[in-house]
Amino acid sequence: MHKVSEIEVQHNIMKANKKLADKNKKKLEENDVFGIDFVGAIGSGKTSLIEELIQNMDGSIGVIAGDVISKFDAGRFKKYDVPVVGLNTGKECHLDAHLVEHALNDISLVDVDYLFIENVGNLICPVDFDLGSHMRIVVVSVSEGDDTVEKHPFIFQSADLIIINKVDIANAVGADENKMATDAKKINPDVKIIKTSLKEGKGLDEIISAIEKFKIIIS
Amino acid sequence: MHELSMADGILKAVLENAQKNEVTEVLEVTIQIGKMALLNPKQVKFMLGVLSEDTIANKAKFIIEEIPIEIQCLECGFEGKVDVDDLDHYAPMVECPKCENKRISIINGKDCTVKSIVVEKDD
Ligand SMILES: Nc1nc2c(ncn2[C@@H]2O[C@H](COP(=O)(O)OP(=O)(O)OP(=O)(O)O)[C@@H](O)[C@H]2O)c(=O)[nH]1
Ligand SMILES: [Mg+2]
Ligand SMILES: [Zn+2]
Ligand SMILES: [Zn+2]
Ligand SMILES: [Zn+2]
Repeated sequence: MHKVSEIEVQHNIMKANKKLADKNKKKLEENDVFGIDFVGAIGSGKTSLIEELIQNMDGSIGVIAGDVISKFDAGRFKKYDVPVVGLNTGKECHLDAHLVEHALNDISLVDVDYLFIENVGNLICPVDFDLGSHMRIVVVSVSEGDDTVEKHPFIFQSADLIIINKVDIANAVGADENKMATDAKKINPDVKIIKTSLKEGKGLDEIISAIEKFKIIIS
Repeated sequence: MHELSMADGILKAVLENAQKNEVTEVLEVTIQIGKMALLNPKQVKFMLGVLSEDTIANKAKFIIEEIPIEIQCLECGFEGKVDVDDLDHYAPMVECPKCENKRISIINGKDCTVKSIVVEKDD
């Protein structure tokens, strides 16, 4: 005979992710690693920024590269001789704590001081998915249009540092980087906003000191 | 936006619970989705149908309950529900109904929860 019954499940997917993220964070802390989640629009300069930081920051760096199509970005990092894990995110629109948990098993955490996680290029989906990092850097560029910030308030609200990149081409694309900075300030008054041209190396030192300062504040 | 990965998470939770309870078939699944979870209920249902094909949930009826958005305004302090019938899942924007400010924090309406399942078991 068959019996039909109802089972209470009450499984909250977001809370489950948060739990895993907390576990990831604990693992990073046990190994004295400071984790940074890099999010931003497609092509805004996340990989470029991480490349510059690898070359110019003190301390050893490991990278988890989330990439939609294949392991392009991971390949770009490998030439700097740092530990890199490429995540093939397929159709995912964001990384989640479970994907990162797996990637953490493939990286020797005792050998790094910083773990950089490049999220999927997307200003909406990653907002609520904590990965277990200590800091979130949001990277946008003027080429997305200067209304990008006001259109995506939640990701900027979740940022610990905001980068407005490609100011070298602001004129050419008819975007006002100062408007973007003002919008960001309105949405998230407490965080540092840095206008950069990674192409020209402008603003990089400021980013590095902002990261180091944030690291000291929260630890 | 992320219907596929969420549907995957939902189904995993369903099947895990089914297995724990030695279920032979899942007949019904009730899911709560916040209006701010960036999920289109129809697409989630569709994905669940596809993903569950080779599982004991392949005949299950998926019921989705939508949870309204509740906010707290960081400017004027308003707390309560907001109406967003035509929320754009690609550029979600919610503002305070009282002062129209966009600096708000979402108190409720972001979650996606598998509430309960109706199952069949052997005696
Ligand atoms: N003009 C200009 N181009 C830049 C700047 N920074 C990056 N780029 C270029 O923008 C393009 C995209 O940069 P990436 O660093 O790959 O951007 P991304 O955010 O990692 O891109 P996805 O991972 O594909 O989302 C590359 O061709 C870079 O050379 C800048 O400051 N100015
Ligand atoms: Mg990249
Ligand atoms: Zn796993
Ligand atoms: Zn998504
Ligand atoms: Zn208000």
